[in-house]
Amino acid sequence: MTGDRKSLDSSLGTSSMTSAVAGLDYQPVAMMPEVVVLKIGGQSIMDRGRKALFPILEEIAAAKDRFKLLIGAGGGTRARHIYSIGSDLELPTGILAATGSFVPMQNARMLQMLLARHGGIFILHDDFEKLPLYFRLGCIPIMTGMPPFRYWEKPGEGSRIPAHRTDAGVFLSAEVLGARRCLFVKDEDGLYEDDPKKRPGTPLIPRISASELLARDLPDLILERVVVEYLTRSRFCTEVQIINGLKRGLLTRALEGEDVGTIIYQG
Amino acid sequence: MSKLVTGDGRTHIDSPLMRESLVDRRVLARTDSPGERAILPHVVLVSVGGQSIFDRGRAALVPLAEEIAQARKTLGTRMIIGVGGGTRVRHTISVALDLGLPTGGMAQLVGAMEECNAIFLNTLLAQHGSITMPRDHFWELPLYLDSGILPIVISIPPYHFWEPPPEQGPLPAHGSDFGLFMHAEVLGMEKIIFVKDEDGLYDADPKKHPGARRYGVIELDELLAELPDETILDRALFRAWSAARHVKRVQIVNGLVSGQLTAALAGEDVGTVILKGARA
Repeated sequence: MTGDRKSLDSSLGTSSMTSAVAGLDYQPVAMMPEVVVLKIGGQSIMDRGRKALFPILEEIAAAKDRFKLLIGAGGGTRARHIYSIGSDLELPTGILAATGSFVPMQNARMLQMLLARHGGIFILHDDFEKLPLYFRLGCIPIMTGMPPFRYWEKPGEGSRIPAHRTDAGVFLSAEVLGARRCLFVKDEDGLYEDDPKKRPGTPLIPRISASELLARDLPDLILERVVVEYLTRSRFCTEVQIINGLKRGLLTRALEGEDVGTIIYQG
Repeated sequence: MSKLVTGDGRTHIDSPLMRESLVDRRVLARTDSPGERAILPHVVLVSVGGQSIFDRGRAALVPLAEEIAQARKTLGTRMIIGVGGGTRVRHTISVALDLGLPTGGMAQLVGAMEECNAIFLNTLLAQHGSITMPRDHFWELPLYLDSGILPIVISIPPYHFWEPPPEQGPLPAHGSDFGLFMHAEVLGMEKIIFVKDEDGLYDADPKKHPGARRYGVIELDELLAELPDETILDRALFRAWSAARHVKRVQIVNGLVSGQLTAALAGEDVGTVILKGARA
């Protein structure tokens, strides 16, 4: 005797849940659609230090009572150093994702110290459910941009670098909160056909759909590729905006809904 | 010695990835190499099904726990156990779907049901030296294994609120089978045994299609070419396995048949054996 399965009656019943379940009535609810999730770049902003960062923080402090801002921090050159050593040791992608998580965490803490007098608080992934409290108190929650996948990050083909880094984490935060747009503060005016730092004169793309961008198959992108891929099928966050944080006022204009920089939209 | 490089407004640490875009395919290719370090090889991961085993209660679970304890003693296999969540996971998702919770919200919820099963199994195996291992004790695995402790690990991967948008439908794609696969892969383990309530993997659900055909020993590539719509394991597992480097053998055995798991642990081709790269 091996006993019967003691199953709970539900719409999924005894489904294996390994294939799409047909006929589900699903009307998703947006948790906090009014939150603006924004990422501060690691290599593009943090590694430039005070000169690049302080004007951005001034804009954030000035805007924080008008918008609910959730900040995700990028990694930068120390993360590149970690990935470089990790690749040299031939370590799996999951180890690189776990060790690469420490740098954005440091950057988030730096941002917190600088924004503390304006209500900046450092939060962990596990604090995500307390966001309503932080916003109610007028705080600016700041977290690592990395998603919590760590050792469970999938290996990719042809590279050891984790596919989900801080762009992906910030985008996925916006998606689960139900925010329509998320914002990436970098050091370029937006998306280019190739890396403008290495190939000056490359044209800027101000607006493009995610599927068109994928179809173009550019050798380099200003945003992690998985974000563009997820944009083709996300339910809430259907636009990402990339702006130049080195130009004063652009962040404020972007927060006010202006289409500065590059917009990549679902389609 | 590493040196700092300035001059473009940023401060870099000199490394092969300095100044580089980590999205650039030309740069990414430089991080790749044929080899990869196996961190904890020669450890077998055994997954005990939720719906298939746990939901049957004592009749299925007690004999299986005894078999695990016995096999460990006689074969001396270094192993890690993971568990599925079963019908309570399905109920959770069903309620969450009706409420319209976002996909990441569902992913945040489901792991709790599996942790209950981990505790249930631990109550049966504790006297034989098992322990439920919290996720952040990841690097204590050698300690447990070397002291003869049987760790029962968390199987749901920590994607939580950050679960990526699924390719189809609203259900989170990264379940416990995938999570355990990644656990084994990242540590360089080569062998995973899934204990379910069927004699292996079939080309259709044998509970609904009595004429379904069982796979014996099959190459991953061959299986992927004809992967059935409904499989006994997460689809995300098969996809991740294609790009993976360490896991060579995934076996699915029937935990309701006494001795199948022991035979699999001893290296016998019982149930379904999926191999990667064996004929390469």
